Amino acid sequence: MNRTTTIGWRAVALLLGAITATVLSVRTGAQGGGGRAPDIAGEWRLDQGEDPGQPSLSDYLGLAFNEAGRLRADTTPESIWGTPEYQCRPHSAPHQWRGVGGTRILKELDPISRDILGFRLQFMRSLDRPIFLDNREHPPAYAPHSWSGFSTAQWEGHTLKVTTTHLKDGFLKRGGPQTSDMLTMTEYITRHDDIMTIVQVVDDPIYLDEPYVLSITYTYDPTAGPATENCTGSAFAENGGTDRHHVPHFLPGQNSGIGEFLKTEDWIPVEASRGGVKTIYPEYRAVLAGTTTTAALTVPVSRSANDVAKRIADQSPRDGQVHVLPVQGNVYMLVADGTNITASVGRDGIAVVNTGSAQMSDKVLTALSELARAAVTPPVPNACFGANCPSAFGSPAWSSPFFNALVTAPRAPQGMRYVINTSAAPEHVGGNAKLAAAATFRRAGGAGGFGGATRDLGATATIVAHEGVLASLSTPPGKGTPAPAAAWPSETFFDEFHKLSEYVNGEPLILYRASAANTDGDSFVFFRHSEVIAAGNLLSTVSYPLIDTEKGGTIQGVIDGLNHILDLAVAEYRAQGGTWIVPGRGRLCDTADVASYRNMLVMIRDRVRDLKKKGMTLEQVRAARPTLDFDGRYGSATGAWTTDMFVSAVYRSL
Amino acid sequence: MMTRVVNRTFRSGARVSACVALLVLAATIPLDAQRGRGGAAGPAASPRQAAPIDLTGYWVSPIIEDWKYRMVIPNKGVFDGIPLSAEGRKVGMAWDPIADEKAGEQCRAYGAAGIMRLPGRLHITWQDDSTLRVDTDTGTQTRIFAFRPQSAAEPSWQGQSLAQWNVPGRSLKVVTTNLKAGYVRRNGAPYSSRAVVTEYWELHTLPNKEEWLTVTTKVEDAAYFTRPYLTSSDFKKLPNSVGWSPTACSTK
Repeated sequence: MNRTTTIGWRAVALLLGAITATVLSVRTGAQGGGGRAPDIAGEWRLDQGEDPGQPSLSDYLGLAFNEAGRLRADTTPESIWGTPEYQCRPHSAPHQWRGVGGTRILKELDPISRDILGFRLQFMRSLDRPIFLDNREHPPAYAPHSWSGFSTAQWEGHTLKVTTTHLKDGFLKRGGPQTSDMLTMTEYITRHDDIMTIVQVVDDPIYLDEPYVLSITYTYDPTAGPATENCTGSAFAENGGTDRHHVPHFLPGQNSGIGEFLKTEDWIPVEASRGGVKTIYPEYRAVLAGTTTTAALTVPVSRSANDVAKRIADQSPRDGQVHVLPVQGNVYMLVADGTNITASVGRDGIAVVNTGSAQMSDKVLTALSELARAAVTPPVPNACFGANCPSAFGSPAWSSPFFNALVTAPRAPQGMRYVINTSAAPEHVGGNAKLAAAATFRRAGGAGGFGGATRDLGATATIVAHEGVLASLSTPPGKGTPAPAAAWPSETFFDEFHKLSEYVNGEPLILYRASAANTDGDSFVFFRHSEVIAAGNLLSTVSYPLIDTEKGGTIQGVIDGLNHILDLAVAEYRAQGGTWIVPGRGRLCDTADVASYRNMLVMIRDRVRDLKKKGMTLEQVRAARPTLDFDGRYGSATGAWTTDMFVSAVYRSL
Repeated sequence: MMTRVVNRTFRSGARVSACVALLVLAATIPLDAQRGRGGAAGPAASPRQAAPIDLTGYWVSPIIEDWKYRMVIPNKGVFDGIPLSAEGRKVGMAWDPIADEKAGEQCRAYGAAGIMRLPGRLHITWQDDSTLRVDTDTGTQTRIFAFRPQSAAEPSWQGQSLAQWNVPGRSLKVVTTNLKAGYVRRNGAPYSSRAVVTEYWELHTLPNKEEWLTVTTKVEDAAYFTRPYLTSSDFKKLPNSVGWSPTACSTK
């Protein structure tokens, strides 16, 4: 009896244990769902059963365009792909699922646990798109954007929910519709038997009145996969002849191709072809039937979940803090309470481009000191043993560097060597005096000619800038209060460019003048080995460029400056990465970002010039809203630099 | 004596192990699966109780993709995207909407293989614990999703649909057969009475908190298609019946 009972309990325990283990195993494998999700990895074929082929030019059917979205699409031709910076541009992420060719999904596995760490998506004309499943956070808003963006994911049942931010501006679909770089994309990827359904939500309130929700279906096919495509673009923009800076675009109302496709697809109503949120709901059939008008129609519009204003502001946070972003090589971007400082930090000491506001100087110095300490005491693996190992001073010694590192304190970091100003703007020179004083090298000055006597200026960094900056800071009496002399440039230049007389942290630094740009004293700085350019006020990802016409600034000067940057910069691959450009304000940029900003300014310049040629007054030009399609992204109705002020400056400088 | 102690100890341990296993197992099984989504305890859950997602309510279809094929009727012969065979194309080119009206077949584009692509609203309810009912205002059609095999009936526009929950996958699979021949596009792109329509219904909560329903549709028709015709249609949940506007089938 006892024996039977014992065996019975053993059996029950073992059985339940096995069931429990099985259930736990299945749930663990599901990664948040119930039961393991079907594998989405593999080769997938797109049969294009929906929206087949490439959409026609100006086919905006089904798009909830706002005014800005429609204007931007009307004025941006497909030939924008012909500009040198865009010739290798991949398909924009919102378009990739719809692009021709198949899709390949690759799994990334942890080699020990074999958990899925993420996926990689491959499409034709695309960069691999990583999707992280390892709970990492999205980068800060001032980090660079890319064509594929930054994607994280989680399982919801058997659906992989993917959230993507940090996308560059691009296009929603072929035929004209553009996207801003503020869009967010959410995808729900579900495998049903041998079909994969992707529900894509593109939330871009800059150009759309409601999120764009689209679903796409793929079929599993081991013989499919993405088509290959090489980038072999020519050097100059289409229609631009030999002008590498040509930006193809249409002036508002002058795109003769709009509606062209309706000649062959004549069943489509003209109004609907222009898009608009009211045209996409079933209620619109009443308009088609002639029983009401679009204006009178009420539809259940969806709201955006994308707080664009906050996301733009977060690119240049005014939070009283200093945020450090490593850029490339020795170079760092410091986001200091709404303005960017570019710093080279290494064994030679520190060189900064611009110094932020005076109030931020202590925090900037603290951040730089931490970087400097890290630069002179990098972790050194013990690769040498014995008497012939170099000492801390380079010559052979009895102890290895590893041992020395353990028993001695590291060398003190070097202080400030160079302070460079790209302009005399207060946010660029405010910290000059304090940062320059944080030097370890003594500097001589006051020489009475070559070979003359010098005097010891003490430990101070050299402040370098275009002579226009010195003129502004040392304003003659009666024309304003001059800045303290300690903040003035001690080394100025007046030529097209100026090379520092020595390498700093292993690389040459070259200042290029940007004539008549934001003012007449602007320049940008090229860190030639690290491939980083500090653009100063030529570039901002949070506003239109500040143009002070009273001080000689012009829209053409800003465009020329940006073109010069584009001439120097080289993309790493597929119009992305390579030379990094630190804007005066906002997120870190690459060539494509600079090109996008330049393109916008060229379009606005040409629009204002066209209106001015027609005899319009400044007030009339403002009323015509020549910046309408960019105002949501860069404009401002309030603050120190409003859209009206920008348009006025453009008008006056043409 | 020693044996008794060991046995007793083991027996006691086995009981404890079994109880622990039961507790862990109980804690591990999702509450939904134990009680159905409605939380009712007791015998085997009905399809309604076992539903992993709630499809009921009013839904509207924003027409984002294929606007020119869905919101309006394209010209005869515009069959882009539809894998019609030569025979299917031939039948499609013979489309005669006036003849359809005269024959009382104006609902040909409102059958199960095409209705989800038409602009309109859905009203989804449980007809009983085992039957999901989908009403459309466009064409005033009713689709019945049964969770058990049904007895044979006459072919109809909506055919007979057998539904099955994918509980861990949180989706619904529906296979529809016994259809009357109809159109997958309003300009006469045909499917035959042999067509089999397989659908996957899934719900997603968007970042703006809205609930969206996506229906992936595969139409297989050896008579007129060269391969399965795949589409996916999206619907947004509405708080109420505002905008619900039943209309009759029309060829215009």
